[in-house]
Amino acid sequence: MTPEEEDLLIEQVASAWRPGTDDELRYHKAWHDLDAAARVRAFDRARALRPIEAAADPDGLSTTARAVLARIRR
Amino acid sequence: MDLDVYLGAIVGGDTAAFGLWLAYAERTVRDSLRSFAAVVDVESVLQEAMLRVWQVAPRFIADGRPNGLLRLAIRIARNLAVSELRKTRSRPVEAADLEAALAEDEPPVAAPDPMLRRAIAECREKLPAKPREAFDARLTSAGGTDDDDLAQSIGMRLNTFLQNFTRARKLLADCLKKRGVVVDAELGA
Repeated sequence: MTPEEEDLLIEQVASAWRPGTDDELRYHKAWHDLDAAARVRAFDRARALRPIEAAADPDGLSTTARAVLARIRR
Repeated sequence: MDLDVYLGAIVGGDTAAFGLWLAYAERTVRDSLRSFAAVVDVESVLQEAMLRVWQVAPRFIADGRPNGLLRLAIRIARNLAVSELRKTRSRPVEAADLEAALAEDEPPVAAPDPMLRRAIAECREKLPAKPREAFDARLTSAGGTDDDDLAQSIGMRLNTFLQNFTRARKLLADCLKKRGVVVDAELGA
């Protein structure tokens, strides 16, 4: 895997989207393709992105918070 | 700030109040999972933990100390991460590290920054069309759509979508830095 390919996988894992399920914890499929260092980078990237998302959201919610609320309201 | 000010409304089933609690609590709970980041999908664990907090909140009994629900959230999240570790037989986190995190009486709580909100709006306006389209698609989907489908919805291939999102992220980081906003290094990486 090239660094560019790895970075695109990190970008996907850093998103708040996770496979939909009501009764089981599901990982992002790209997470399994990352090594330990890249997984930590995905964590850090998500951590960096969420405040930006929250600041851009009219209710101050990140995409993580929105995803959780969507599951509650489902 | 004591986030338990929202507890009464949350117990009463008020999802908007839970949203306010989430806006403050998310970062602290996420940070409590950092030591697991190499071995579990923290985003997945975090969302599941927050859902469980909502489910158990009606039975939560405060202990008189501030941020009781936040401390419960950290405990749920870390227990969930440990459970995932056992499933995957990955290397466990040091027990001392786990205990230290759980022993925190008053976890730090970061408040959303109103100045950042204005800076983001101005920097977002300056993004070129395609990167902005990718960035906005992620925001609008609110974690409900995967990148494959988001890319298709705006007529891009997946790699093109991700490259545009990356470009938007880096441009936002540069723009915010120029305005004196301190951003995480990974935002512009």
